[in-house]
Amino acid sequence: MLPQGVKKTITDNPKKLANLIDLVNLPSTLREFVGQSQISRLGCFMRVWSYIKTNNLQDPNNKNVVNCDKKLKSILMGKPQVELDELPALIKLHFPKAPK
Amino acid sequence: MGKIPPSLRSLVSANSLIRTPLQTEKSQRHHFLKKRPSRKQQRKDSDDSLETKRIPSLFKSPELSEAKELFNSFISTKKIPPDRPFHNSLLQSYSLMSTVDDSISFLHHMIKTNPSFSPDHATYHILLSLACKAPESDLSPVHKTLNLMKNAGFEPNQGTTDIAVRSLCSVNRVDDAVELVKELSLKNSPPDMYTYNFLVKCLCKCRVLSTVYGFVDEMRSSFDIKPNLYTYTILIDNVCNTKNLREATRLVSVLNESGFKADCFVYNTIMKGYCMLSKGSEVIGVYKKMKEEGVEPDLVTYNTLIFGLSKSGRVVEAKKYLKIMVEAGHFPDAVTYTSLMNGMCRKGDALDSLALLEEMETRGCSPNSCTYNTLLHGLCKSRLLEKGIELYGMMKEGGVKLETASYATFVRALCRVGRVAEAYEVFDYAVESKSLTDVAAYTTLESTLKWLRKAKENGNMV
Repeated sequence: MLPQGVKKTITDNPKKLANLIDLVNLPSTLREFVGQSQISRLGCFMRVWSYIKTNNLQDPNNKNVVNCDKKLKSILMGKPQVELDELPALIKLHFPKAPK
Repeated sequence: MGKIPPSLRSLVSANSLIRTPLQTEKSQRHHFLKKRPSRKQQRKDSDDSLETKRIPSLFKSPELSEAKELFNSFISTKKIPPDRPFHNSLLQSYSLMSTVDDSISFLHHMIKTNPSFSPDHATYHILLSLACKAPESDLSPVHKTLNLMKNAGFEPNQGTTDIAVRSLCSVNRVDDAVELVKELSLKNSPPDMYTYNFLVKCLCKCRVLSTVYGFVDEMRSSFDIKPNLYTYTILIDNVCNTKNLREATRLVSVLNESGFKADCFVYNTIMKGYCMLSKGSEVIGVYKKMKEEGVEPDLVTYNTLIFGLSKSGRVVEAKKYLKIMVEAGHFPDAVTYTSLMNGMCRKGDALDSLALLEEMETRGCSPNSCTYNTLLHGLCKSRLLEKGIELYGMMKEGGVKLETASYATFVRALCRVGRVAEAYEVFDYAVESKSLTDVAAYTTLESTLKWLRKAKENGNMV
């Protein structure tokens, strides 16, 4: 487990910070979901998370699990259910590292 | 259960060390401020009492012609007594939005249209303070204003020097301030001790020690301005902050040689220096020295002492001093209790520190955000998550902000037992309450979740 140390390096590391907050041109699936053509990885996460909250998609029996609706399924690799702890990783898939 | 590598533990506890000193320092600074500028304050009040009389949003634009018109309309309607403070406050509010040249023209216009108005020192000080904040990189606007002032028959006085120095330092032009002080000292308006000490303090903040000493030496040799007890306190504080205790000791001996007697503030400063190095025995040493020299310890002394002892793991002694301080007639405040809680939590007595929270509340001392964060951090570290969640509920209710370290520990503790949804909720609160930046809050959450996935894959999790 590494949060303390890592967190500091991320906020101090301009490249990693840029990776998180730079606006990125979105693929069409994601564009449909967020309703705009550019968004940062952080912004996208916030958007998806608030979408889950407003539509009450968390499983009532286990809050850690999200039952995807059709719209959410389209951007989370078509999974019918995702766990909250894999959400950042799944979103990251849409934001590949910029080719050098 | 996930395992925490030992390297992280030290990291986290090191982080929690940083928390309370900030507070102790703050309260200490507060004392410094209270004591020092008393005379300065008075002078400022008499010099430009217009600060309070300022008429905001009177001038709609920085346009000179409009300002003149406005002034003319005031004169013609005679609604307000056109005395000097009124003119000064007009100039003050205009200068807030315009340039040096325009303000000067406006002053000339006021003198011309209303001959009964005669400017005084304060009038020119308004212009001077504006000139010091002008975007020019050299001192030409300042010189211009000073010349204007001299031509009007007002020689710069100590107040002038003070205002110029403070204005320059407020826009981070410390070198210019030093230059100006030397120049004005040559022209018979040397800085008084308040201005001098203020400048030394600014130099300490943003220049290396040798520069500060250079300035002190030059002022002594050229203008016979000698450092006083406050100057030494500032210098000692500075070297203590850079953990250079040897230099601090040297300064104390210089101070004694110059005929000053170290007071409570000097001792508190040195004690703080030892606290930062976690040297418990030396902290007690300073306290004993004070007693020997007949200096009466104050609240800050006891707070520093208790903080230092807690920090170096000597909670039992810290508690003893809590008793002594109460017997000496001081009321322990939030800083005292928080320091003690920090020490207890570090020892793993999170429950005891929770009990201390109740005790402090029954004694009529309300906890601050630092207290709550210390406790939350301590409870999570001692694996008392339920208590932590309860405390978090209280914090949320009271709108108490989370600090980086306690937030991270709490999120991690929640994730460790698989309560990811609650961790998300804490993340939401951290963002909503603006405790942390979105980036900081998210990176912590993301890396914790990443660790959680890995732990699950390795079969470390239930």
